[in-house]
Amino acid sequence: MDSQLFLDTLLQRSPPHILEHARLVLVPLGLAVLVAFPIGVILTRPQYRRYAGRVMAVLNAGQTVPPLAVIAVFLPFLGLGFRPAVIALTIYALLPIARNTIAGISSVSEDVKEAARGMGMTPWEVFTQVELLLGLPVIMVGIKTSAVLTVGTAVLAALVGGRGMGAVIFAGINFFRPELILAGTLIIGLMAILLERLLTLAEWFILPRHLR
Amino acid sequence: MIELQEVTKTFPGSGTPAVKGVSLQVKSGEICALVGPSGCGKTTILRMINRLVEPSSGSLFIDDQDIMKVNPDHLRRGIGYVIQQIGLLPHRTVEENVALVPRLLKWPEGRIKERVEELLEKVGLDTDEVRKKYPYQLSGGQMQRIGVARALAVDPPVMLMDEPFGAVDPIVRLRLQDEFLKLQQSFKKTICFVTHDMNEAMKMGDKIAIMNGGFLVQHGTPREILAQPANSFVEDLVGEDRGVKLLDLVRVEALMLPREAGTANGRSVQALDSAKKALEVMLEHNVDGVTVCREKQVVGILTWETIKTYVHQAGSEAGG
Repeated sequence: MDSQLFLDTLLQRSPPHILEHARLVLVPLGLAVLVAFPIGVILTRPQYRRYAGRVMAVLNAGQTVPPLAVIAVFLPFLGLGFRPAVIALTIYALLPIARNTIAGISSVSEDVKEAARGMGMTPWEVFTQVELLLGLPVIMVGIKTSAVLTVGTAVLAALVGGRGMGAVIFAGINFFRPELILAGTLIIGLMAILLERLLTLAEWFILPRHLR
Repeated sequence: MIELQEVTKTFPGSGTPAVKGVSLQVKSGEICALVGPSGCGKTTILRMINRLVEPSSGSLFIDDQDIMKVNPDHLRRGIGYVIQQIGLLPHRTVEENVALVPRLLKWPEGRIKERVEELLEKVGLDTDEVRKKYPYQLSGGQMQRIGVARALAVDPPVMLMDEPFGAVDPIVRLRLQDEFLKLQQSFKKTICFVTHDMNEAMKMGDKIAIMNGGFLVQHGTPREILAQPANSFVEDLVGEDRGVKLLDLVRVEALMLPREAGTANGRSVQALDSAKKALEVMLEHNVDGVTVCREKQVVGILTWETIKTYVHQAGSEAGG
């Protein structure tokens, strides 16, 4: 174990890759929220609720496919680089967000919704002021799960030329340098923790006071 | 005034209607207690009045306005609604919960604040103590009171109450009932009050509407229902102790024999107490009569004999 190499990797070799990695996480995560959150919301509306089981089955099945395979499937269409990696990672991040959006909104008690309707709130007001706010903690858990998942999975982007921290780790694997693997993994771990903390902080600002 | 004309509701996927051709009138300022076993359609009727459920056929009017022609959200903002589970918004403070409908109606903030304070006081809560609290920090009784305050917020002429005191213990329930009746004396709201408890219906209702299997079985004053039950179902519902319940509906002053002022000797009751209370005192102390007082002043006597005659007469009005 060469501690100098370890420190060099940590402090000099990795930093440029950290930003790339962050982009590989934030872009798919943002896209996944944009797709999965509306899906989750629609599947809790009374007229579409009966499709929830089927849609979730498809998303669940998607989750059982290894991320590497998802990347491989898109390779022929999208070629190498950032784009196929982003698409694969987005698909991979959909399920936790959609599932928790459904769970969060469904967890709001019928009595509260009934009372809100009975007071004369429009369906939109009930959704934005009651269901969404009360379901938010559970929805945020889904987003955080996807975020942490994506930080780890984004390593595979390096295999299709998407770069990121995967470049450091795979270099370590290819050249039998555990220092590179260790330093890369450490950084990824720290990124996951940092992102989770940041999302928790954001949640604290949006959440109704008593749920904090 | 609330009026139902031949209202029927069949829920999708259900063969038998939940409510069958019910016609009912609740006069202005009157409490109508809808009572019956679970599944009899009483809650469905209530929910049709604020259009949380749409009737399959028939029409409903509030103050001669066909409610099917009113925007349902606007309709509901003008109707006080209290449910058993209360349904306070858990993420809003007491103050914000009570201010819910005024905010929907875009009242100015100053007026809302005043109104919230006034209402919390009216329902017997310490404004400064509870206003900033969240529902989970309150007792069951406090929550029920806030549910009532919220329903009264914009002073709606019509209120719908679905077992509003059902979720608290019997002692608190009695107190809430008394307090609400006191409020109603000055508010004079037109109220539909759903309950499965006949005693509560007798106490709260100016009129009682008895439901069974989706049908309106009998509609009348508590006295009419006790004296002349329409059928055996109503008889069972009011129970064997109809006579005693009748005594609960009549005040001592209505039955007593007036007497010159004097000092109370023996056991006494207040003129405004129920005759049932007088009977309880007689039984408890094994006496044949009680002195009736107004405050400290003796105004009459009530005897065992008078009570017996009254119950017997009321019973024979029923033709039985």
